[in-house]
Amino acid sequence: MNDSNVTLVELSVDGVPVTVASGSTILKACQAAGVSIPTLCHLEGVSSNASCGVCVVEVEGARSLVRSCVQTVSPGMQVRTNTKRVLEARRTVVELLLANHPDDCLACMRNGSCELQSMAERMGVRRKAFPRTRKEPAQDSAGLAIIRDNDKCILCGRCVAVCRETQTVSAIDFAGRGIRTRVAPFMDKALSSTVCVSCGQCTLVCPTGALTERDETDEVFADLFDPDKVVVVQTAPAIRASLGEALGLPPGSLVTGKMAAALRRLGFAKVFDTQFAADLTIMEEGSELLHRASSGGVLPMITSCSPGWISFIETFYPSLLPHLSTCKSPQQMFGSVAKTYWARKAGVDPSKMVVVSIMPCTAKKFEARRPEMRDAWAWWKDQGQDHKPFFDVDYALTTRELARMIRRAGIDFTRLPEEGFDDPLGASTGAAVIFGATGGVMEAAARTAYELATGKPLPTLELEAVRGFEGVREAALDIDGKPLRVAVAHTLKNARAILDGIAAGTSPYAFVEVMTCPGGCLGGGGQPVAPDWEKRELRRAAIYREDRGLTERKSHDNPAIKELYAVFLGKPLGHLSHELLHTEYAVRKV
Amino acid sequence: MSELGTAALSGKASVTGASARPISDDLRKQVAASAAAYRDKPGALLSVLEETQRLDPNRHLSEDALRAIAEAMDEPLSRVYSVATFYSYYSLVPQGQHVIVVCRGTACHTRGSLGLLQETLAMLGAEDFREDEEASFTTADRKFTVRTVACFGQCALAPVVSLDGVILSRLTPSKLKAAIERVARGGKR
Repeated sequence: MNDSNVTLVELSVDGVPVTVASGSTILKACQAAGVSIPTLCHLEGVSSNASCGVCVVEVEGARSLVRSCVQTVSPGMQVRTNTKRVLEARRTVVELLLANHPDDCLACMRNGSCELQSMAERMGVRRKAFPRTRKEPAQDSAGLAIIRDNDKCILCGRCVAVCRETQTVSAIDFAGRGIRTRVAPFMDKALSSTVCVSCGQCTLVCPTGALTERDETDEVFADLFDPDKVVVVQTAPAIRASLGEALGLPPGSLVTGKMAAALRRLGFAKVFDTQFAADLTIMEEGSELLHRASSGGVLPMITSCSPGWISFIETFYPSLLPHLSTCKSPQQMFGSVAKTYWARKAGVDPSKMVVVSIMPCTAKKFEARRPEMRDAWAWWKDQGQDHKPFFDVDYALTTRELARMIRRAGIDFTRLPEEGFDDPLGASTGAAVIFGATGGVMEAAARTAYELATGKPLPTLELEAVRGFEGVREAALDIDGKPLRVAVAHTLKNARAILDGIAAGTSPYAFVEVMTCPGGCLGGGGQPVAPDWEKRELRRAAIYREDRGLTERKSHDNPAIKELYAVFLGKPLGHLSHELLHTEYAVRKV
Repeated sequence: MSELGTAALSGKASVTGASARPISDDLRKQVAASAAAYRDKPGALLSVLEETQRLDPNRHLSEDALRAIAEAMDEPLSRVYSVATFYSYYSLVPQGQHVIVVCRGTACHTRGSLGLLQETLAMLGAEDFREDEEASFTTADRKFTVRTVACFGQCALAPVVSLDGVILSRLTPSKLKAAIERVARGGKR
């Protein structure tokens, strides 16, 4: 709303006068009056479909109770939020939802973080009030990334809204009617055989355990306890800005050192950093961009770090695949380097190595199991060692899963010392940290590409034009008098706008960064649940704070990367890079 | 991927008996034509679904037909499925040559629609029809399909049954039986 022509409305909430902008919902007015209205289906910026009825209030003169999340204020309105009628109605609404909800909170992944559970407590539910009417629906546990348990679904519609509005994927919708209404993919198929890109935004907004990540913590614990295995871990940039939050610290807590300490306490043989591979990605991707620009290659080149985005373009815009950078994501570059370069250097049998990555992402689970991601195995075969095929990355755990492991192992996170990463795959620069925020890959690439192209350092390191949370941001970089137009998009809805421009031949850009999730990886589908822009902003601030505090802030200044090229890879885009660090894409038919 | 996907779906699938057979080239063209005809009109998707079901040799919407409709109308598959499963008019399973829809609304129920339903089913040889399943029964010779509906909105004429889209009102079991026998012989309703 434009601030200059806002008209104000006066009303009263529980007898207290309050003034809000016209067009505000009663819910907003109540919040302004300091009254907390319970909500379930309503989620700011995602959905408000008035389906649950928990937010009802009494309005003087209205015949029935009013759903405050959608009803707007009017002048002189008298709202009552805690009358007998309101409190009874709200409790009944929750009791009705619970009639068809299983009573297995103790074994549910969302035990402790479930909005329905806390709502039942808040509404004073003390009984199973109504018998079950719904039949037990099928569980969809086929996916590598996301599990659906419709028995826990309360039909709030947040997942449908985020999938359709934020991501324009529309893998799920309501199906059926009445008692048979359910959230379902096309033909009630498994989610994994639909257009779903595994972004996991639905798992963030789901109030219950109906949509969750595939939990692989037991598998990782089993490998950690296996004396024959060498289990190493890598952590994505965004984890250090969100793991604290998942363990009860304030949002935006930066916990890099404690995270490294916790991983060591869990028993990982080496605590490495995906940021090392992010620096490596910049070396390859920056070189690829300069090569494409100077050799008449396909432009704009689009980043390829975000696996949900890769599935999206493979599904919806396959004709534009040549625009994708051939660079693997940092997670996958790390895996293939760890199981070749590091395994040889450390004298470790690569087939006994287990690479675990900690990711803010559910799609990374899918990416790790893409059949082509076994380049280390192929490399060892070329060296004459024929192992049973293994993946470059064995497990991709979300932030939430790591938090679960830390709690389960009894590690008192707040009392851990600050520790560092192990060498050599733990060394990184500020350019790698900012990979965790939308615009960060662009900024990191600019820091290096500018210097590679001109031989001079960038005038200023901070590329403010590509920072922030605007859906699409653009900038013109001046590389020694030559302009380079770039754009940054986050969420697939905004990516679609850029792709439509490319398809129409009107795109003015040479380089585009796309991240699947709102805010980039810091708002990823594997992050702590129930996100909002305030929390995303705090995580973003933490990421840029980390960058500012580092001495090395450009990927090509990373000494471990220099050594990797000197003793192993040769040069960016060289033969070995192509084997280990680059990939190809395919049309995805569903 | 898709093989793994189907295998690991536990429990009962929600759409049983949905047909996977491909639609004919003719029907595909019809879908494209009606999509073009109804484009930008309100309720376009409803109309295209209705027309496609009517033109289908088995009076139903197969997976392939829904895919063709989604593509022609530029709608997500999940959306097309959502609409097709919401309205009782649409059938995702093949239907017989004649479709009998017994109204089970309150007015019809109080005036004996359960008896009509049971009589019809017995007459057509159905044994395991369960009303709570939103099921439909089709005879082995694919001549008749029996379904129920929550309400036609024709309560003043209760009890009502729709036979091939025509509402028969104030029915008794014997009147309904006679009507079914008439269409079975190829006669009029």
